[in-house]
Amino acid sequence: MPRSLWNGTIAFGLVRVPVRLHTATESKSISFRERHSSDGAAIAHRRVCTAEDREVPYSEIAKGFEVSSGSYVMLSKEEIAAAEGPEAHVIDVEHFVDGREIDPAYYERAYYLSPGKLGDEAYRTLHSALKSSGRVGIGRFLFHGKAHLAALRALEEVIVLHTMRFADEFADPRELEIAKADKRPSKLEIDTARLLVEQLVASFEPESYENSYRAAVLEVIEQKARGEKIQAPRRQEQTGEGELLSALRASLEEGHARKRRRPASAKPSPAEEAPRSSGLSSRSPVKGPRSSGGSSSSSKGASSARRRTRGEG
Amino acid sequence: MTRPLWSGSLSFGLVNVPVVLHSAVRDRGVHFSQLHEPDGSPIQTRRVCALEGREVPYSEIAKGYEMEDGSWVLLSEEDLAAAAPRKSHTIDIEAFIEEREIDPIYLDRPYLLIPENESAARAYALLVEAMGDSGRVALGRFVMRAKEHLVSIRPRGELLTLTTMRFHDEVRSSVDVAAEIEAEAVPGGEQVENAMAIIAELEVPFEPAAYRDEHRAHLQRLIKRKQKGQKISAPAAATMSEPKPTPTAPDLMGALEQSLARIRGENSGAGKKKAKKAPAAQPASRRSRANTKRSR
Repeated sequence: MPRSLWNGTIAFGLVRVPVRLHTATESKSISFRERHSSDGAAIAHRRVCTAEDREVPYSEIAKGFEVSSGSYVMLSKEEIAAAEGPEAHVIDVEHFVDGREIDPAYYERAYYLSPGKLGDEAYRTLHSALKSSGRVGIGRFLFHGKAHLAALRALEEVIVLHTMRFADEFADPRELEIAKADKRPSKLEIDTARLLVEQLVASFEPESYENSYRAAVLEVIEQKARGEKIQAPRRQEQTGEGELLSALRASLEEGHARKRRRPASAKPSPAEEAPRSSGLSSRSPVKGPRSSGGSSSSSKGASSARRRTRGEG
Repeated sequence: MTRPLWSGSLSFGLVNVPVVLHSAVRDRGVHFSQLHEPDGSPIQTRRVCALEGREVPYSEIAKGYEMEDGSWVLLSEEDLAAAAPRKSHTIDIEAFIEEREIDPIYLDRPYLLIPENESAARAYALLVEAMGDSGRVALGRFVMRAKEHLVSIRPRGELLTLTTMRFHDEVRSSVDVAAEIEAEAVPGGEQVENAMAIIAELEVPFEPAAYRDEHRAHLQRLIKRKQKGQKISAPAAATMSEPKPTPTAPDLMGALEQSLARIRGENSGAGKKKAKKAPAAQPASRRSRANTKRSR
């Protein structure tokens, strides 16, 4: 049985659906530990009181808010909890929206919900209603001491909860200095670029994009372990403004040549060595065969290091 | 101007556009520092070498990877960049796909992608124009901070925004969670119909600016009161919304019917149903309006 991160209740009209929250994603990046570069020793993190210059145990730590430089307001855990109020364990669904209206930038993290105690029937009722209507519930809830906007939707047999960013969390692009072109692209350039876009149109098949960097890092680790020197990389050259059209045309030519070499495949596959799944809906990320860890091209060399690949945190 | 998080090229066919990456979000949370409770002085975290027992500056910290035999391999940032030299400096556009094909479960963090200099601006503008309002996004991969990211790039006005995405094997299957749902607890058709009717009554256009982080405001008020030396008694909760009635799980149908009656009553009581539909007095943000237009 998967462990839950949080238990609470979805409030939806007068209906209460007890739910448990489970993580829907996990990082597969290689994680590193801090080591001292000169002697390779482990690095310890010590909490030190700046007034006494001595290490202090965790039990003596309180939370402080810096109201002005160097001046703090100290708050106890109870006081911070008081700010959460009685609704701390409720996901209060305020509205339902058409999910297509939500800009992808709002989505933060995804979680699967399972029914809590005696909640199975209410859970399945909400799941069916979300699935049939195709709508997304929008609410707010507190999680890990922070308020989140949340989106609830049906995915296959479960309800997914996405934490969402609040509108005021977005930076204003006008705060950035953005270089402006002194000449707009010409119609010919735009038309040629559109042809190139058309040439690269594909359907989204998440399985065909493999994280090849993991294998490459493990390879570097093996090289380093053998005492080999690692070569430093060089940067890409910029396409000059005058070369724009010729670069676009050469790209188109290259694409055509690729197509001629592979007449059977209509669309360019982004990772040609990866098997293309057949008949599975690409909107659904969790159907179909799931590879366990690194597969295909990564099976050379780094076998002793690969075992240590694990999620962060 | 904030420093970019990454700089490199955006590569589209044989066209290379020098770009820099900025976060599209800023942290608005209320952050606490650690204090030493008895004397109220700030706590500092020091990195100490376990062998020498002395504090070590950040410049002397390497990334360590433990081998099977228990030995450690130390890597520098340069070593990691060398693992994927092209990917560390180039976002290669591999395909263009329909934006609606991407399940939100894949989405991670949003960024703004901007041209590095004036001479890059025209090729950048070309890519914005070429994607236009086709509803298509560019898909690519690159390495930032020793991590490879699958990314989707979409035009927003005259800018390109980039969203990092999770790789397929980083999305867990929902099968284990689905297995926990009691198979016998099949809801009746009437129940689902009532739930759908509630959804229809509560449907509004998505207006993100209408939802504010009230918890953040509560914390800020609490800090102010404490600063003035006021005592914080348990429920600052009185200022929160009315407590809801107790769970009604055993009588699901009753709860659905009552909810529906109440919402319908409220909506007709407010005169025109349409008037009740917009969530609050906040105007729609530019972002959401542009997005609504695009997706409809």
